[in-house]
Amino acid sequence: MDLATAPHRIPPEMPQYGEENHIFELMQNMLEQLLIHQPEDPIPFMIQHLHKDNDNVPRIVILGPPASGKTTIAMWLCKHLNSSLLTLENLVLNEFSFTATKAKRLYLQRKTIPSALLVQLIQERLAEEDCVKRGWILDGIPETREQALRIQTLGITPRHVIVLSAPDTVLIERNLGKRIDPQTGEIYHTTFDWPPESEIQNRLMVPEDISELETAQKLLEYHRNIVRVIPSYPKILKVISADQPCVDVFYQALTYVQSNHRTNAPFTPRVLLLGPVGSGKSLQAALLAQKYRLVNVCCGQLLKEAVADRTTFGELIQPFFEKEMAVPDSLLMKVLSQRLDQQDCIQKGWVLHGVPRDLDQAHLLNSLGYNPNRVFFLNVPFDSIMERLTLRRIDPVTGERYHLMYKPPPTMEIQARLLQNPKDAEEQVKLKMDLFYRHSADLEQLYGSAITLNGDQDPYTVFEYIESGIINPLPKKIP
Amino acid sequence: METSNRELQAAEYLERHQIKELLSYLTSALLFFRPEKPREYLVSLLERLRIAKVTGVAFPFFMDNSNIVAMFEMMDSSGRGTISFVQYKEALKTLGLCTEDEDLKDDGHIITLDKFKEEVNKRMKEIWSAF
Repeated sequence: MDLATAPHRIPPEMPQYGEENHIFELMQNMLEQLLIHQPEDPIPFMIQHLHKDNDNVPRIVILGPPASGKTTIAMWLCKHLNSSLLTLENLVLNEFSFTATKAKRLYLQRKTIPSALLVQLIQERLAEEDCVKRGWILDGIPETREQALRIQTLGITPRHVIVLSAPDTVLIERNLGKRIDPQTGEIYHTTFDWPPESEIQNRLMVPEDISELETAQKLLEYHRNIVRVIPSYPKILKVISADQPCVDVFYQALTYVQSNHRTNAPFTPRVLLLGPVGSGKSLQAALLAQKYRLVNVCCGQLLKEAVADRTTFGELIQPFFEKEMAVPDSLLMKVLSQRLDQQDCIQKGWVLHGVPRDLDQAHLLNSLGYNPNRVFFLNVPFDSIMERLTLRRIDPVTGERYHLMYKPPPTMEIQARLLQNPKDAEEQVKLKMDLFYRHSADLEQLYGSAITLNGDQDPYTVFEYIESGIINPLPKKIP
Repeated sequence: METSNRELQAAEYLERHQIKELLSYLTSALLFFRPEKPREYLVSLLERLRIAKVTGVAFPFFMDNSNIVAMFEMMDSSGRGTISFVQYKEALKTLGLCTEDEDLKDDGHIITLDKFKEEVNKRMKEIWSAF
């Protein structure tokens, strides 16, 4: 009964279930809400929170100097993500709230409203059904540190904060060309974003306060305030340069908003590396195993070890080796399961390469319950693979491995006696590559969330890409 | 680092309502039963808890009677019907029902199955009533 003598053996289904259903994040969100609101009766509050089911809705804040394109980006994001847009104007013009009518008077007089009132308006608006269900995007709020802190005290936290930035001269010039459509409220520009329909062109108005002097003044004010707002959102902030075409800014913003931040959830990596022969799978697997202490499971290696150790499986496999035929799937799966079921694989995680070769093997793997949680495809063009493999040589005297291009032998004497492995001959390599590409389309379809990498770079660059793929959560796709 | 007033407030709130134990129980239940729809399952668990609190009906314990009996029998290898005091203390610790330095009085009597059951149930009720 003592923990020390018999360590708990957690069945592997539990961590798998936890990862797939994001249990950790679910509990973390619930705890956050409990701490923010501190209800006297926690259980009904938790039931309500679970019913709302809005952990993953967009909660975005977009900040930036005047003329950076905030409102345009915010509107596009709204349409794309189907969320509600909140700006100072539409908060104040809300007809359904008493606070809004009070604020409207002040706004029409002075163009700004006191922070306390603003924050109250925001709180009211965010409690409404559509913001709760579909998410919200705040355009240009908070402007000052005071507003940011007040919003935080109420427990309103955005998940992504985007700050647009561009040099002042660009902004001042850009602002001169700003035009507004009075009917839809959309912003157009004389040079960059001219509407195609002539009827819109005719009704465009020049907004007030876009002269150079006024823009410069607004920019000064902005720079004074933004420096104090940025530290309030340390880990969720991203600065995007607004000095590029609108579409580019939009795409950058969209990718950022759809990415999840790293969580503290416990995660045992179960990595699958796929790619043609010579793409570097074994090397990457070895690097991963060394750095993250995963278990390196190479299918071919397992089979050879079984034969060499003369285990029961080894005896069955040996005739296939002798006749140079592929080992049948059922036998292969048995050897694999034996290895992957061992305690160290379950606890530390594994890196698998060499299998599955085709769709049947992949389905067998799935049915046995070994679902990888990260899949990588290493793409290397044909010529590079030929270069990498056909120039491999081995020195029969010392056993040292050389490569005629990347690691040439030091002396002519050694070079004279080098031998080539018959498996590295051109025709053999071509055969194996064809075999892979025949099945790769099916595998890519099966592993929908796989990450494709360019394997044609130096090994440490590829390793860094793989690392970031494992550590960052998988990007979520918009339904 | 000086903890601000709100932090202390929050820590005290967690203690008062035993939120950590509640969340721990919910997570363990989820991982053990692995339902298809985790949110609905959590809602049903919480509803049962709420009803149990209001009406005083038995709480949905993690371990029911048969588990307690099974545990007792595992410890009582010789089948005498009793377990030693040390085993009893260890068992309570493993179940999370008593803390490391709590001093259980060893009143010299041997611990029978009934006494064990009674003690476990009593402690579980104590913990659950705080929710």
